[in-house]
Amino acid sequence: MDILIISKNDLPKFIDELIKKNTVFAPIENDDTILFGQIKKANEAKLDYLNSQYPPKALILNQTETLFKFRPGPKGDIEPIKIDEKKVIFGIRPCDAKSLAILDCAFSGDFKDPYFLTKRDNTVLIGLSCNKPGVNCFCTSFDDSPASSKYVDILLTDIGNSYYVEVTSDKGKNITKGASKFFKPAKESDAKAKTDIEKKAIEMIKRTQKTENIAEKLDKIFENKFWKEVSDSCVGCGTCTYLCPTCHCFDIQDESTLTKGARIRVWDTCMNPEYTLHASGYNPRPARKNRVRNRIYHKYNYYPKNFDVIACVGCGRCIDLCPVNIDIIDVVTSAGEVKP
Amino acid sequence: MVNEKELQDAVEKTVKRDDVKYVVGYEKGTYGFQAKPSFAYKPEDAKKFIFSPICVHNLSVFPMLEEKPPLRKGEEPDSRKLGVVVKGCDSRAIVQILQEKGLERDKVVIIGIPCEGVIDPKKIEAKFPGQVDNADVKDDGDNFIVTIDGKAHKVKKDELTPDKCKTCEYPTPVLYDILIGKEIKSKKKEDYKDVKTFEKKSMKEKWDYWEKQFEKCIRCYACRNACPLCYCKECMVDQLDPQWVRRSVDLSENTAWNLLRAFHLAGRCIGCGQCERVCPMGLPLMELNKKLEKDILELYEYVAGIDAEEKPLLAMFKPDDPEEFIL
Repeated sequence: MDILIISKNDLPKFIDELIKKNTVFAPIENDDTILFGQIKKANEAKLDYLNSQYPPKALILNQTETLFKFRPGPKGDIEPIKIDEKKVIFGIRPCDAKSLAILDCAFSGDFKDPYFLTKRDNTVLIGLSCNKPGVNCFCTSFDDSPASSKYVDILLTDIGNSYYVEVTSDKGKNITKGASKFFKPAKESDAKAKTDIEKKAIEMIKRTQKTENIAEKLDKIFENKFWKEVSDSCVGCGTCTYLCPTCHCFDIQDESTLTKGARIRVWDTCMNPEYTLHASGYNPRPARKNRVRNRIYHKYNYYPKNFDVIACVGCGRCIDLCPVNIDIIDVVTSAGEVKP
Repeated sequence: MVNEKELQDAVEKTVKRDDVKYVVGYEKGTYGFQAKPSFAYKPEDAKKFIFSPICVHNLSVFPMLEEKPPLRKGEEPDSRKLGVVVKGCDSRAIVQILQEKGLERDKVVIIGIPCEGVIDPKKIEAKFPGQVDNADVKDDGDNFIVTIDGKAHKVKKDELTPDKCKTCEYPTPVLYDILIGKEIKSKKKEDYKDVKTFEKKSMKEKWDYWEKQFEKCIRCYACRNACPLCYCKECMVDQLDPQWVRRSVDLSENTAWNLLRAFHLAGRCIGCGQCERVCPMGLPLMELNKKLEKDILELYEYVAGIDAEEKPLLAMFKPDDPEEFIL
């Protein structure tokens, strides 16, 4: 790992340099919402932000992904889609970067998803540590840190006059080497500054989710009335799943006119009554109880069993924006205490 | 201010009735300024119930979300009543649903609370950011008393309420079985100031504004699901055969959805503002609803959700109804 620093004056110049060679996405302020979008100039990026409303996973697993285009009919043909664009996601939070590593498990299993994996390979993640985590942040419940460099190619941490730069991968090294004039080797005092800031940020995280042996515990309470109680207040919208950086269920449809069409893949949500509805009309998850339970089990039971990792990164978006305060910290912690 | 003990007693008494399945009200949420819907199935559950300006949800959505699982042979359907705690605006949703015969009057027990304004969660988060522990908000005439860590802050109501409260003409529920506390008369008047300002803009300005908003929509349908008047058995956007609105999330389909939603609520929206409150992307959906509300008031002198005996706007006809807009 290369440890460097970049001064605050040089950072915009470095971003502008990146923009010359790559398509760069960064957090942008749009009215009161923060969203990741393409930037053409360094000053369009907003770097003092808590987190984006909408997860940056949408840059890799797009909400609407055109798989290919076609012309229907006897003379029809198929037109493949180009997905080899090189991207840099600048300013991604460590939790959101981890979510992409979690998604890798699902998309590189028995079937290797070419769309997700190609985009993932072509994307460089330049992370930004969270110096001030939000009310509902709980990444520390998964032994992670708001300043973790584990899942990004380069991590920047604001240490006052400059950013502490950790370069963790070859993709990252290529970037810093290509712009070496902006970087200086870090001193021991810089490393200490980062550790101090990280410690402070961790202390600011007030909420904890208890996840010890959660997969086994959930196995025993599948039919418990607890799930009816949790789901009583659910209105069945897709906010929690669409804002979740690890949710990845999708639906595939052909959308066409008489002369042209496209096969698209769009995000689906297990809160939707149409989700897993069989062609026969049978629905294995007929009630909100089944659907709310599925969201929790997918993250805390099925995923750990299949891939040995909990599919939640503790970003807190679903808690911040649930219309009825269904709070995943509370639900999972309470589920662990339910007597089978 | 509402006497919570009086509320809890009324809820307890209602739940004790054999013909009542549950009462839905509010309890403290899991952090900060959050309240959450609370279901009392047993008399002792009533002790959790609260009422304060953080009770922002319109709970009349819950009778409409009631699931009716298929019955086994010989099994009788559960025909018990559902109890709902409502504020003035919330009660208008029930009245509107009754008008439309979406609910039967004797299937709901309405516990009404006169309300002098609630907080806008986004505004209070901006003013007092980062509250983890439960913080308290109390009503105090023209002010809210916000208590954080034992320290009280007096804040002008106008600073923290959503726009709907600033022009609320119906603080006391228009229909109820039990009223907690005393009736409040409103001196406020809806003048559609913002709608009138927006109407003056050019067509291009209006489109540019709404395109920018609709582009943000992620089609989570929180606006629909939190709305008590969006209770179609199958929503048009969920239909697959024929598919009226595509699943693609782009400006064209998002526009179709948002206009469809607004128009389907024309003459039905009672202005509780849930759609706007729950939108995760911050779309100003009430601006659309208010425009339709104003047009309908001017054209037909009709206000939704006031009189349960009245016919719904779209189910009645008067010979002198205006028709200039018919092509």
